[in-house]
Amino acid sequence: MMLARAFVSHYRRHPIQLLALALMIVLATMLWTGVTVLTDQARHSLFQSEDAVAARAHVIRADGRPVGVDDFAALRVAGVCVAPWLEVQRPPPEGRVIGIDPLAMGCFGDAVPGGGADSLEGAPFLDISEAAELSREGYSSQLYLLARDGNRDLPTGYTLGEFSMGPSTGELADSFLLNLDALSLLVLLITGLLVRSVHRLGVAQRHGSFSLLHRFGVPRQRITQWLALELLVLTGICVVPGLWLGARLAGMLGSGFGQALDSLFDVTVYAGTEGALPWRAAAIVVFLVLAVCLVDWVVPARWRAMAGQGRGRTIAFLMFLVGMVGVALAADLSWVFVATAMVFAGAGWLTPGWLALLARRLSNRTGSRRDDPLARWRQRELAVMFRHLALPVVALQFAMAMVLAVQALVTTFEGTFETWLAQRLAAEFYVEVPTGADADSTAAQLQNLDGIGPWHRVIRGRASVAMANDGSHLGLGDERVEVDLFALLPISHLVKTWTLLESVEKPWLRLESDSVMINEQLARRYRLEVGDTLDIRLADTNRSAEVVAIYADYGRPAGEILMAGSALPAAFKAHFQSFSVTPGSVAMADIRRRLSDTWQTSELTIRDNDSIRALASKVFSQTFLLTRAISLLTLLLAAMALLIMGWVFFTTRVKYFQLLGVWGLPASMIRRQLRRLSVALTLTVTIAALPLGVWLTWVLVSRINPLAFGWSLPMELYPLFWFELGVMAVATGLIIAYLMRLQLGHTDSIKQVEP
Amino acid sequence: MKIPTGVSAGILAVVLAGCTDPGNDTGFAGLAQQTGEVEQSQFQQPEPGDTLAFPEDWGPHPQHRIEWWYLTANLETRDGKPLGLQWTQFRQALKPRPANAEPPEASGWPLDAAWMAHAAVSFGGEHWFEEKLARGDVGHAGAKADPLQVWLDDWQLVSKPDSGSWYLQVEGGDWRYNLRLSNIGKPVPHGQNGFSAKSASGEGSMYFSLVDLRIEGTVTLGDETLAVSGKGWFDREWSSQFLKAGQQGWDWFALHLDDGHKLMAFRLREDQGAFVSGSWINAEGEVETLNGNDISLSPLNWQMSPQGRVPVKWRLTMPQHSVDVQIAAPPGDYWNAGLYPYWESPVTVTGSHEGVGYMELTGYGN
Repeated sequence: MMLARAFVSHYRRHPIQLLALALMIVLATMLWTGVTVLTDQARHSLFQSEDAVAARAHVIRADGRPVGVDDFAALRVAGVCVAPWLEVQRPPPEGRVIGIDPLAMGCFGDAVPGGGADSLEGAPFLDISEAAELSREGYSSQLYLLARDGNRDLPTGYTLGEFSMGPSTGELADSFLLNLDALSLLVLLITGLLVRSVHRLGVAQRHGSFSLLHRFGVPRQRITQWLALELLVLTGICVVPGLWLGARLAGMLGSGFGQALDSLFDVTVYAGTEGALPWRAAAIVVFLVLAVCLVDWVVPARWRAMAGQGRGRTIAFLMFLVGMVGVALAADLSWVFVATAMVFAGAGWLTPGWLALLARRLSNRTGSRRDDPLARWRQRELAVMFRHLALPVVALQFAMAMVLAVQALVTTFEGTFETWLAQRLAAEFYVEVPTGADADSTAAQLQNLDGIGPWHRVIRGRASVAMANDGSHLGLGDERVEVDLFALLPISHLVKTWTLLESVEKPWLRLESDSVMINEQLARRYRLEVGDTLDIRLADTNRSAEVVAIYADYGRPAGEILMAGSALPAAFKAHFQSFSVTPGSVAMADIRRRLSDTWQTSELTIRDNDSIRALASKVFSQTFLLTRAISLLTLLLAAMALLIMGWVFFTTRVKYFQLLGVWGLPASMIRRQLRRLSVALTLTVTIAALPLGVWLTWVLVSRINPLAFGWSLPMELYPLFWFELGVMAVATGLIIAYLMRLQLGHTDSIKQVEP
Repeated sequence: MKIPTGVSAGILAVVLAGCTDPGNDTGFAGLAQQTGEVEQSQFQQPEPGDTLAFPEDWGPHPQHRIEWWYLTANLETRDGKPLGLQWTQFRQALKPRPANAEPPEASGWPLDAAWMAHAAVSFGGEHWFEEKLARGDVGHAGAKADPLQVWLDDWQLVSKPDSGSWYLQVEGGDWRYNLRLSNIGKPVPHGQNGFSAKSASGEGSMYFSLVDLRIEGTVTLGDETLAVSGKGWFDREWSSQFLKAGQQGWDWFALHLDDGHKLMAFRLREDQGAFVSGSWINAEGEVETLNGNDISLSPLNWQMSPQGRVPVKWRLTMPQHSVDVQIAAPPGDYWNAGLYPYWESPVTVTGSHEGVGYMELTGYGN
């Protein structure tokens, strides 16, 4: 009992320390829980969506009319296993939902889309009656009748078509999840550092108490056990509100998250379902807190001492260097992450020491001038702080580097994407050709329409490619791969403004004569280059074509070839066709009427440029919502940790500020010193984060992005954002100084020495 | 938007309110529990005094919550081997609808009712079972009274008035059957002019049967197609609160005795004892309603199976008709292993009378 009172008495005397530790644990749990819930949700949604598109066949009416409930009933009564799949498009943030009939899925057996009726519960799926209700409310919808591949012969009037809700997401999904996991681990690392820093400060202050207890006969092991128990109880108490806050945080961010996945993978996700509190995440936090706080009692003192010594620093420097080289050379995403972790570990290990050294050197130089003793005092004090506040300093450095890099990636992508989209959306209107409609006669009609602006017909389908002449080519080898086919007829001016990543002379002219262009994803994945010759198989017809250009194709993983529609064999079956039209002097209403007459339907799908662009921009802005949110929250947490730590640490230095008073420094001057010191601390950390942040930006755009998503981005920096971060750092420093001023006011230390 | 809890699980649970739910303390098969948000009182409840009407009662009763069309057959192959066969189609309403009301638009994929069909073949100690599910009012499952038509996908029972016969076809993966049902005869009402009590407190159902069907056709099991013929029993039953809370399951028997009598008997197991009832039908189709004082039903042998313990041999006595028989399932495992398993087996009758029939046991096992 006495021991318990001794342990509690410390926090009775230092309630701020207890509060700081509790707050750190709550915030760490909140952040980790939020990230965990979101990544789990992402994983679940991805797997579910991937399973959902596994059927890969749907029934098409031979007369080209859309299938309806009557077709469903007729096919089922005829013994054909089909299931309805009603997609309803709602505007963001809700996004698309999929209405299904779980009762109709039974005939799929093990091949049921989604892996079974139960796994189709929850987002993005809902009962088809509810989806139909949404459809009736005016949201655009499309009904598919999913069928098993290799189904029995269909009744007359029906054929099977490929059911592709989007490209295969397997590899890309893994990469995206790996990115999220890596981000989560970085968050965990940062939060661990912060909790440890606060706890270590407390333990250092209690060293005297522990020695006293030991002298009273309490074994050291028993003290350690009590310390662990104290930490366990505190963590247990603090984890609960942290868990709840984390779940709320995930809930707030979750609504846009489905859109993020949707835009990245073209996979329908409807996120935001509430689940049970993630106790697994809580258990990890408890373990983390205990591990980072009690590691000192487990790791031999010799090892700990070594970390700060020359040999430790050498190891850290080597780790940093190896990591740098590893990131540049690694061919696999996982190894890039490992190497990045090494760079971070090395940088984190070295930075406080370097900063302290720098401050000492500055202090020595200032000292030699003997004209500014206060500056020398500040620099010495700063050096002490860098050593004592090493952990929160590193945490803040990591967080800032992460925020810098993510901001640069997002902003660069935004700019690049806008330009790319503007090139891709050169036409004013996009008209889908209904299934079974005659696109050839429509093209002839448009050709003969006086006054019409540039237009072309887009034909999409599948092809397979292999190297035509050189089987030893590094990328494709003897392999034949399935790719998306994108054909244009004619190759109009609408596409000739595209910025190509690489090309031969006059690529568009060459494209009209037995050549192809390939997208960046295909080029990167199989290391194809301009000038390579591909063997392309289209509808059982083989032909050779030279790669004349590589074009950017953001936001999707599929490899694609672009060719002239005139080169397609007659037997080629298009999966999708549309017309990109600039009406010119012809009214779009007139074009619409002509198309309706030709295709014998009033139900035309025509999208205008603005609406597509608005949707694309909206989807984009949500794509990085999660990344931005996580990095900003981490920064907030780190800043708060530094604030708390700085405040707590400054309180331990009160006697030195008192000494300044004793030396005759007026209170206003002492407060000024405080401000300069705290601002110097936070600002230096920000500056130290800059090189790491810039390097991480390069890793993201030039290493991780191409490996994960197949496309790269230009490396761009945003100094204005650095300035914003600097302002935030100054603000944090000023708040620390303000809190210290209050603290000094409480102790009356300044008043006592004021003249 | 919050997705309603468990789209599929919810629907299936509701559907299976028409089947079995072993160990459900709210009542066998969920028939005593409230399903969904619709109040029980909104459905029409059969009462003593209700009568049967033909041909309407062959068709669905949308104002009632639950009903089924149910065939069992004791057949023989050409070389005299016994073959049992079952087909059942259930309808479970989620919303009540007046009998003459227009059904909702199919294009809205309504979920006012769900359908479930079961088919099974028992032959040579083996048991084949298949289950199908569907939502109502969409078109691929339903029932019509005149001419009778009951279908779920390509499982179809149709009446062809010109031939005076019914035709049933079922395909269950690598097995199927095509049957012709004749000697339809007059429906035999159970209980009080068709109202069959299911508890002492008055819960019950409307219930009638065709008890002397002649059946012939083919049953294909894998690569082998067997020509079969024999006797059949067809039940029509509907209700809204079939069983009361506390009833755990039922033991149901439909027997063709060699002296021309037919016997339907059931026992509803309750927390305290059981509710027993039945019908004694002579060769002319005249029916005598039996109650717990007239019939005694008790299990003699139990069988352990992967799904649990089940009574496979019974003693049935009716002293006033000098009936004292043993009813036994053939060796084998006859669980209909659907979403909610139950036992459905052909039986042989020995003792004071001999015969064949069918036994359905629900609420047993795991």
